[in-house]
Amino acid sequence: MNGSSPLITLGGLTFNIANCLSTLIAAVVVFVLFYALSRKIEMRPGKAQNVLEWIVDFTNGIVKQLIPNKNQAQPIMFYVFIMFAFVFVANQLGLIFEIAIGGQTFVKSPTSSPIVTMALGTISLVLSQYYCVQQLGFKGYLHHYVEPIWFLTPINILEEFTNFLTLSLRLYGNIFAGEVLLDLLVQLANSHGVLTWIVAMPLSIIWQGFSVFIGSIQAYVFATLSTVYISHKIVEE
Amino acid sequence: MQNELLLAAESSSLGDTLFVLIAFIILALLVKHYAWTPITNMMEKRNQKITGDLDYADQERQKAAELKQQREAALKNSKVEAVQIVADAKKSGEDQRQTIVEQAHSEAQEIQVRAQANAQQAKEDAMKSVQNDVAQLSVDIASKIIGRELSVDDQANIIDSYIKELNASHETK
Repeated sequence: MNGSSPLITLGGLTFNIANCLSTLIAAVVVFVLFYALSRKIEMRPGKAQNVLEWIVDFTNGIVKQLIPNKNQAQPIMFYVFIMFAFVFVANQLGLIFEIAIGGQTFVKSPTSSPIVTMALGTISLVLSQYYCVQQLGFKGYLHHYVEPIWFLTPINILEEFTNFLTLSLRLYGNIFAGEVLLDLLVQLANSHGVLTWIVAMPLSIIWQGFSVFIGSIQAYVFATLSTVYISHKIVEE
Repeated sequence: MQNELLLAAESSSLGDTLFVLIAFIILALLVKHYAWTPITNMMEKRNQKITGDLDYADQERQKAAELKQQREAALKNSKVEAVQIVADAKKSGEDQRQTIVEQAHSEAQEIQVRAQANAQQAKEDAMKSVQNDVAQLSVDIASKIIGRELSVDDQANIIDSYIKELNASHETK
């Protein structure tokens, strides 16, 4: 983690191998998981279908809590579902395996990079603007910026970006910190041979378990806050 | 080192962002097609089925309750009817009994009256024949005693007057 990641340049764009590869792996894992779970869809659900329905119900519950209107909630449900699943898998990915060769990281949690979390945050930001225009019209969308009173417009515009930044950086900070500490524990383990291994192993186990917890919570928080930002835009109080 | 990392992050930010966006959108489309649409459709279908089944059960229950009410009403009605029928039967039986008794009574009275009339008639007939016989007998006796012919008509008159007296005295008694 402390090491840099290999870069490649393709057609004028530079890609960070670690970010792209990890994102790809997380996406493939999510797809394979849901593809496997949804093979036999029946009126009387089997085990796999029950698991999938449980996840769907869970994320739908987040949306329904914040957006009571069913017609408004319907299109957002899928977004929250896929975002929750992706962030969850991405958070856990770096805990399960992290590949670093010659001081260069190849695979880690994609969400431990601010660029990836900001990309995800951008999707939430853009979607909240999109749904606002779609539900309230362009006039209603603009009206949001002068909401309590006209001179608060700059603050309202600023709020969009602070929402976006806090959403992205909260996720990044949590996962990044978790991985940094894991790396430090690995360094500690390797510093003085067998003795430090014995000390570092239980600490590492404890921190891994805690990181799983943090990763789950952060996935839930990310999905919930995305819904909150969208709901602020479209729910008329 | 720090500077280098920052530089690296900056130089790859656009490419990474685009990569993440595209990967995420492709993932979303695939998952929506393969998992989300079938599972939500099925959940919606199940939801509707459950609602339909519950509605159906409610309807059936209501129907059953109505039927039960109808049956109970019919039962109650039939009880009342039965009571009515028994009462009617009793009443008609009573009436019939009354008429039969009355008829018997009147018939008995008629028979009595007729019998009395018959008896009267027989008595009168007997009396008449006895009158005649007595008259003839007395004439015969008298003619035998006196030895001469007496006019039967005269004797008959005398005897009639006797008998009338006799009757009168007998009836007054």
